[in-house]
Amino acid sequence: MSNWPSGHPGEDLLLRSLDGELPARKARQVRKHLEACWQCRAEMESLEVTVADCVRYRKQVLAALLPEAPHAWQPLVRGFDRVDAELAAAPLWKRLPRLAPAWQWAVATAAAAALLIVAVLQFGQTSSVQAATLLQKAVAAAAARPVPVRHISIHLRSGLPTLHTLGGPAGSLLPLPPDIHMAFQAARYDDADPLSARAFQAWRNSLPHKTDEVATEPASESPHETCYRIRTQAGDGELATATLLLRVADLTPVESKFEFRNQNWIEFTQVTEPPSQPDGSPVATPLEAPLRPVVPSRPAALAPRSSASISDELQVLTVLHRIGADLGDPVEVNLTEGKVLVSGVGVSPERQRQIHDLLDSTANVEVRFSQPEAALAMPREAAPATAGDTANVGIQTRLEKQLGSRAAFERFSTRVLDGNEAAMAHAYALRSVAERFPARNEQSMAEPDRAQLRQLAREHVAALETQVRVMESALAPALAGLGGKAAAAPSAAGTDAAWQQAAEDTFRASRRLEVLLSVLLGITPGQNAASDLPSQVLTAVANLNAGLSHCQTLLAQ
Amino acid sequence: MAAFYMSEELVGILRQEGAASVLQTQVAQLFEECREDVFRYLMTLGLTPSRAQDATQEVFLRLYAALKGGEQIENPRGWVFRVAHNWGLKVRARHASESPFDPDLEARLAAPAHDAEQDLLERERMVSFHRAVESLSDQQKRCLFLRMEGLRYPEIAAAMGISASAVCEFLRRAIGRLKKVRDE
Repeated sequence: MSNWPSGHPGEDLLLRSLDGELPARKARQVRKHLEACWQCRAEMESLEVTVADCVRYRKQVLAALLPEAPHAWQPLVRGFDRVDAELAAAPLWKRLPRLAPAWQWAVATAAAAALLIVAVLQFGQTSSVQAATLLQKAVAAAAARPVPVRHISIHLRSGLPTLHTLGGPAGSLLPLPPDIHMAFQAARYDDADPLSARAFQAWRNSLPHKTDEVATEPASESPHETCYRIRTQAGDGELATATLLLRVADLTPVESKFEFRNQNWIEFTQVTEPPSQPDGSPVATPLEAPLRPVVPSRPAALAPRSSASISDELQVLTVLHRIGADLGDPVEVNLTEGKVLVSGVGVSPERQRQIHDLLDSTANVEVRFSQPEAALAMPREAAPATAGDTANVGIQTRLEKQLGSRAAFERFSTRVLDGNEAAMAHAYALRSVAERFPARNEQSMAEPDRAQLRQLAREHVAALETQVRVMESALAPALAGLGGKAAAAPSAAGTDAAWQQAAEDTFRASRRLEVLLSVLLGITPGQNAASDLPSQVLTAVANLNAGLSHCQTLLAQ
Repeated sequence: MAAFYMSEELVGILRQEGAASVLQTQVAQLFEECREDVFRYLMTLGLTPSRAQDATQEVFLRLYAALKGGEQIENPRGWVFRVAHNWGLKVRARHASESPFDPDLEARLAAPAHDAEQDLLERERMVSFHRAVESLSDQQKRCLFLRMEGLRYPEIAAAMGISASAVCEFLRRAIGRLKKVRDE
């Protein structure tokens, strides 16, 4: 199956491939395509010749013909002395932020702590009570509104902040480095949405020993808005401290920071400024999808209506599902201003045409696509190999031996990755449906709508099960040969009362498997001990199977 | 050159006099290796040779100050070009009333240096390539020059204050234009 609308990778993909700027999986797809396609190979060679021209130009023109420095280069020693003197003369408050970013955080936290004392004295409440109450209110507020599409800036301990989109029917997950993801998992913190009160509350409630701090301060992105800052220090566990900023006006989480025991940290900030085009002009696309009004499901007897209901939204989702447009296409569906708005940025022309054909004549539905903008999508830099990878390189060699040849390993890898890619598309889609129609909303839906919703969810679960079987048939014999053994999967009965929660758990299990597979196949570096990895992968498959089975049971009720 | 990483331990050590000179040696070594590249890049931004040379020195002193101040710099070469880019544009803005420096590379290229026919052909090719480079937009040109200096897309993006995907788009257009000129 082709991965590109035209059947061939575009020039931008070829260039990024040539420059080593594609993520490993995408690079592999391009490489495989080039092996088979003369046209693209010729195109690639032409790009390489132009790059060689650039290298020659730098050497023969820029280096040879630009003027030389007018004066002999002076040693930097005197300059070093000047810098040393300037640094020594700077006051402490000016020097402090230069020491390490963590110090800035400490200063901010100290200020927050001071405010906290005032707050405690004023309200006569302990910080723990304040934190618990605020979180409870924030969770309730979040449940009362639909999940909007958010643009989130991620700042890691090392590296520059990157901008990502979270939410929407196309489904998305913040691209966390595997070690951070593992650390979240070890801390039992749900990192599927690290900027949510629910995840923070669940983690906080699970802590046997904790210290809370609550304060108010301006939001860093919008200083005119005041925020509650909740900072919880864990007595033990992988995650030492978590901080959440809730906007006072509506208790929306706008910022979170997580500091791990190993000194690593990560920060998430909801960005409200619109991204800009390469030429600096702002993008017209709104950053947040408008909140959808509370509208009932259609009554049993349908009468002509002038505004859309969640039934219409469900119909649109079903139509998109039939053509596979809910499996990774950047198509968004929002119930807003009395209509179902189907929108998307960067949707292929062919897909746009298909959707227009199917939905243009539908009442209360508007289809509106925008041109792609360049500023939002930050391609992930290929993760550099680290010293910690050595063990995993070893396991790939063992796997290759187990399978008999390099070619067999490549085939195995392709089969597993293709299965995983298809599985993740359904996992995202299932989760999106579950989030869009939470249990409490489903209860108020008309029976035909409820049946249709469950059918949609069942189809995603069934497709996911099929893909897991495909992966399992490849993984089980190969990993068993390396001593891998699945730990007993949890009881299929599970603890979830609603299929929506089971869908969320299934999503997390799929994501866990995806991370482990990428480490196993050498796509991303990981910290897993090689000897344990086969068992971890097989256990993750077993857990996912158990979750899917439980989900199907709940959907059938 | 190995990446500088200022761990807490290293910050502690740097407080000792001897270790400070190690850092100075490292920065001085990078200065030796990269100063000509930075100097040339600053001239392509329109700085006169004299200002480009001063700016180059300043950029490396800033690197030293940043490292001494505890900043973690994984890729010092990328950092240097990012700061050079911003510093160069500031210098240009300060002297906005002056025309940007024009090295008139085309005239230099056209000057016959050798008689061999091969050289003549190569020179003609380079003249037309140079014209194509000159016809690129400022942003395309800057992305291209920074890429020529070995910077990765995220580093170029950080230097220019744009997204990495925008860098890719500028480079794609630039390379496409140069390819077209070559094929004509």
